[in-house]
Amino acid sequence: MGALLTATGSDYSQMMVTADRYDIANEAAWIRRAQRADARAFEALYRLHVDRVYGLCLRMTGNVSEAEDCTQEAFIQAWNKLTKFRGDSAFSTWLHRIAVNAVLGMMRKSKREHDRIQVVADTQTVHLETGDSGEMRDLAAAIDRLPERARHVFVLHGVYGYSHDEAAGMLGIATGTSKAQMHRARKLLAQQLEEQGFER
Amino acid sequence: MNDYVKDNRADRLDRVAMQLATEIAPERDLWPGIEQAIAAPRRRMTWLAQAAAVVLLVGASSTVTWMVAKDDRPVAMASPDLVFERAAFGGDYNLGPGFQDARNSLRAELDAELGSLSPEVQADVQANLDVIHQAIVDINAELEKDPDNALLQQKLLASYRQELNLLRRVSGLSRNVMTRSDI
Repeated sequence: MGALLTATGSDYSQMMVTADRYDIANEAAWIRRAQRADARAFEALYRLHVDRVYGLCLRMTGNVSEAEDCTQEAFIQAWNKLTKFRGDSAFSTWLHRIAVNAVLGMMRKSKREHDRIQVVADTQTVHLETGDSGEMRDLAAAIDRLPERARHVFVLHGVYGYSHDEAAGMLGIATGTSKAQMHRARKLLAQQLEEQGFER
Repeated sequence: MNDYVKDNRADRLDRVAMQLATEIAPERDLWPGIEQAIAAPRRRMTWLAQAAAVVLLVGASSTVTWMVAKDDRPVAMASPDLVFERAAFGGDYNLGPGFQDARNSLRAELDAELGSLSPEVQADVQANLDVIHQAIVDINAELEKDPDNALLQQKLLASYRQELNLLRRVSGLSRNVMTRSDI
């Protein structure tokens, strides 16, 4: 990410940094300032983490509009809960938990999952702008067509590398269920991709 | 298909999955919407909500403590496992029918038994309920301005719980008082 922060303010100019200068020390300082209701510091945290949060939301929902809504909701929730962040886990992990909750909450509220799957199935030729290419694009499209739970587990464990314990904790399911859903996801993906010559 | 082919495919799936992009830039800048949403003064809301919670807690506790002190028999505590429906707030959501039923039922029970209490206690109970109701009205008013504010949602739910708790405890106490006078 190469976005330049364009904030103005007497003591904020020092925070006008490009992404490649972000590091843990800066992040910790921004967190402390954001906890004191400094919206500019929170914007810096947003710029630092938005691509990863949006990526997670997009992989989990398979829908640009819903992913945007979930990303915004996640950061708003993070702002509201920021004073409770004690640094027990990495800020990015904490943020991801909130993002997963936002996705699950949105899906519960909308109750549109069935329709959403149908829409994805009907428009599967429309490729989400994820930056994937070749066989990765095929896999990404196949992931979008997975049933909700299998997709969520596969994204968290298979794509983002969370352990089954962590993924289960985020999704509010048992670790064994996470493993079973992962097995199911692999099987369904293999079936889908076999038709596309993925294994050859 | 033999196991080797299966394992090979699963490995390849996992390998390709781990190469998928985990950072994807949104097609538009989402910050302006977030900035607008967080513009509400977080700390003022917290202070108001906390103040309301303190008033409720002190009021309810004082009434119950006073009533317990009046009665020298051990008070049978109502079951704490009253089931609350999960409530979601915002423009499209209301408290679940189970919660409303429980509240209406307890309110009816309280009204029926309130006569066994002295006028002073009745007034005290009503005053506490009024405080809770006012807090609910105030928090709801703030939620109308900021329907997605999680803290306010929690405070509202806590206020409803306080109300139900007070109704439940006072109902239990009045029943207890009535039983003793019968004896």
